[in-house]
Amino acid sequence: MIKYILVALVFGGIMGYLNNNFGSLIADSWISNYLFNFSLILLLFVMGFMFGADREAVVKLRRAGLKIFIVPFSITLGSIVGGLVGGYVLGLSLVGSMAVSAGFGWYTLAGPLVGRLFGSELGALGFVVNFLRELLTILTVSFMVKVDRYAPTASGGATTMDTTLPVIVRYCGSESLMNAFSSGFILSIIAPFTITTIATLPH
Amino acid sequence: MNVIVPLVAGILAGVFLRDKRRIDLSKVIFGAIVALIFSMGFMIGSNNDLLASMPRIGGNAIVIASLVVFFSVVFMKIAKKVVRFE
Repeated sequence: MIKYILVALVFGGIMGYLNNNFGSLIADSWISNYLFNFSLILLLFVMGFMFGADREAVVKLRRAGLKIFIVPFSITLGSIVGGLVGGYVLGLSLVGSMAVSAGFGWYTLAGPLVGRLFGSELGALGFVVNFLRELLTILTVSFMVKVDRYAPTASGGATTMDTTLPVIVRYCGSESLMNAFSSGFILSIIAPFTITTIATLPH
Repeated sequence: MNVIVPLVAGILAGVFLRDKRRIDLSKVIFGAIVALIFSMGFMIGSNNDLLASMPRIGGNAIVIASLVVFFSVVFMKIAKKVVRFE
């Protein structure tokens, strides 16, 4: 999956560069208005559909108990504070960097969505930050698990329901499956809402 | 247009149509993601200013991603202490 995404990103970048600098074959607005918005809306609809249609998801959530809310809630706060501190240190738009970190590692969503709400530069930042979050989670899992049983789950954010789940289970044991999955599931559901909510703050 | 609308519409459609015959949605998701990332790359590539600032964006991203991971773990530890779950 990740290699197709990188190919699509690089190919899109090259096409955009050529189109812009060597005669416009297609209008930029066709891509940025139609293809971009259509695929974003389609993705959100289908993701929503899969959450809604997954009967077992609710059962899995119930089995994990009350902490299913406490863990992702603390990760939400931690991510946004991390974005706030990072934005302050780097002198970026504070609201923008908070929105970027509220993607919780879901870079295919956070990049385009932040780009739509804050412009292409922060959108690119949103993509890379969340992509690195997934990468960092995989690279540091053997260290993180020594810090705390839940540390890899906190590090992974929304990615712990799919891409980083196998790695976490491998290092933290199968009893971590429910907690990691439910935390990633809840963070995935709330990510579009947290990003859009943060975007309503004055910036 | 609000991005919440398609998400909520999707969840509701999923709840009501969950017993209908399944079609494989993973291919639709894959196609939408590839189209989305392609157009994002296109928008970055067709903007020379943005392209020039990519090294800086990458550097900023490393700082923010590390801080996000750090604070997520710290807040989770605090929550664990406060609520005392295992």
